[in-house]
Amino acid sequence: MATERYSFSLTTFSPSGKLVQIEYALAAVAAGAPSVGIKASNGVVLATENKHKSILYEEHSVHKVEMVTNHIGMIYSGMGPDYRLLVKRARKMAQQYYLVYEEPIPTAQLVQRVAMVMQEYTQSGGVRPFGVSLLICGWDEGRPYLYQCDPSGAYFAWKATAMGKNFVNGKTFLEKRYSEDLELDDAVHTAILTLKEGFEGQMTADNIEVGICDAQGFRRLDPSNVKDYLANIP
Amino acid sequence: MSLNGLADCRTYEGTKIPSFVPYADNGGSVIAIAGDDFALLASDTRLSSGFSIYTREQRKLFRLSDTTVLGCSGCWCDTLTLARILEARMQMYLHEHQKPMSTPAVAQMLSTMLYYKRFFPYYVSNVLAGLDEEGKGCVYCYDPVGHCQKVAFNAKGSAGALLQPLLDNQIGYENMDNVTSEPIHIEKAMALLKDAFISAAERDIYTGDSIFINIITKDGIQEEKFTLRRD
Amino acid sequence: MSIMSYNGGAIVAMKGKNCVAIAADKRFGIQAQTLALDFQKIFEMGPHLFIGLPGLATDTQTVHQRLKFRLNLYELKENRHINPKTFAAMVSNLLYERRFGPYFIEPIIAGLDPKTFEPYVCNMDLIGCPNEPEDFVVGGTCTEQLYGMCETLWEPDLEPDDLFETISQALISAVDRDAISGWGAVVHIIEKDKITTKSLKTRMD
Repeated sequence: MATERYSFSLTTFSPSGKLVQIEYALAAVAAGAPSVGIKASNGVVLATENKHKSILYEEHSVHKVEMVTNHIGMIYSGMGPDYRLLVKRARKMAQQYYLVYEEPIPTAQLVQRVAMVMQEYTQSGGVRPFGVSLLICGWDEGRPYLYQCDPSGAYFAWKATAMGKNFVNGKTFLEKRYSEDLELDDAVHTAILTLKEGFEGQMTADNIEVGICDAQGFRRLDPSNVKDYLANIP
Repeated sequence: MSLNGLADCRTYEGTKIPSFVPYADNGGSVIAIAGDDFALLASDTRLSSGFSIYTREQRKLFRLSDTTVLGCSGCWCDTLTLARILEARMQMYLHEHQKPMSTPAVAQMLSTMLYYKRFFPYYVSNVLAGLDEEGKGCVYCYDPVGHCQKVAFNAKGSAGALLQPLLDNQIGYENMDNVTSEPIHIEKAMALLKDAFISAAERDIYTGDSIFINIITKDGIQEEKFTLRRD
Repeated sequence: MSIMSYNGGAIVAMKGKNCVAIAADKRFGIQAQTLALDFQKIFEMGPHLFIGLPGLATDTQTVHQRLKFRLNLYELKENRHINPKTFAAMVSNLLYERRFGPYFIEPIIAGLDPKTFEPYVCNMDLIGCPNEPEDFVVGGTCTEQLYGMCETLWEPDLEPDDLFETISQALISAVDRDAISGWGAVVHIIEKDKITTKSLKTRMD
């Protein structure tokens, strides 16, 4: 397109060497709903807040926990629409990989490729960076993986982490509670507890979402299932 | 090519004129092995055309005399005609010479008969096996137009390419150091024959069902049947 | 004459007990005229992975180069050695990209799984339809002869030495009945911690 030739990147350096657009994107993430990820010995858990502004809202219709492929799932903090685009791209990349190699995509590969997309949006013309950070969890070759992917395209491998509103407190909480030999059930418990730190109002199965990934693959927990976990929360 | 031998031939103007294709390939494989005092000739019993099987029990060996057997594969109607004329010519020889034809004589006559139809050949791969005048095993193999060669062993037909290198290896001891080529024993020849056909039936769809083995010795011709896979 | 038999050549691969073998002839020719006696048709693609590319010689070399390119990228990206099965999928993919103007080669892959060391053999047609049997695969201009040989000589769980003998006898006897294969041969025996490469002397006519 002729217009594209002049559509310079909006992400440009400030005189001090910062990319303020990316910092604004991170600010959008930090203002977004909190989400938590914890790696256990036999799986990974992802959990996030899914509060609704009105009681009229139909819960459990639009999800924040999404499966990418059988053994990989993800959640986000930040802007929902941006997230859904990334989910779509991630799913497509997973299938493309399978088409070429007839082998499920390793989690590290998917993260790398999603991060590549996010990086492209920091340097391309006519676009803005994504207003989301992702938590991607997976299970390959008998062990769990947990990654965070930021708007800049940077990605990190975590044992446990928190993002979004109150993420500093969430991380401090996790640092105290985390241990290497955590079981998946305990990890779900801890993840919900972490969300509860700074949760405003009553936590119910209708305003949080939980996904787990283990040798059986990735799945989103049913509200009834989440309820059982909530019952054990003081 | 269509099944009834009639195929359409398109000219450059685009008009169709029916053309006659006189040949069919009905498959089948033949193996012959010559020993010091015996000859073995074996063929499978499947008769087919394209992807269909006409019969699972068609013998392709023709007992021409007490010491000579002919094995054929290729176009079955040509095989029948050739064998019939060959038998008639042998009968005429008998009447004229007051003695049955020797194997080398049949071999030579077969070559002549094939070449006689050089420009409209019998579409048949022939292998002739028997005992010569001294009682030694001999095998002659042919191309469809009468080239004749005396050999120690040979495989012909649809699985000929699969079988021949195996015979080279197991009987001819080709490319082997420290082996002295000794005349093949009848037991080994029989075992090899069966193994070879089992293998051919695995990969060649035109070979299978069962095999007939003719064992030609000075005491006459014995016949043995052996079952192969039928799929 | 088919373009697949313009240059000639034969390749065979067999499974053994905790080992695989792959062998090829060395001839390069143009139809009946032999031009070289040291043409490489088998390529080492990893510590336990070989691919044989019988068919049109120019495509043998091009496909090898393009596969090496893709494999190098894969190994850099993923920081690990490729699984033979995954490699086969990669080859199949490369070939199918040229579905309507194919490379005239029919690849044969032999290798051991980098983790479990399980033997693997595979062959494909020229547009990448894979076949993964439990015994052996053959390719080139004398497949019929090779099938006949392998079908009788091969048996399950051959030890490396016996596998070498079997594959060598099969190849040599087969190429001797093919006018455009032979003129020397090479055999690779792939074991967990050893790869043995041997050259075979054959008839030169």
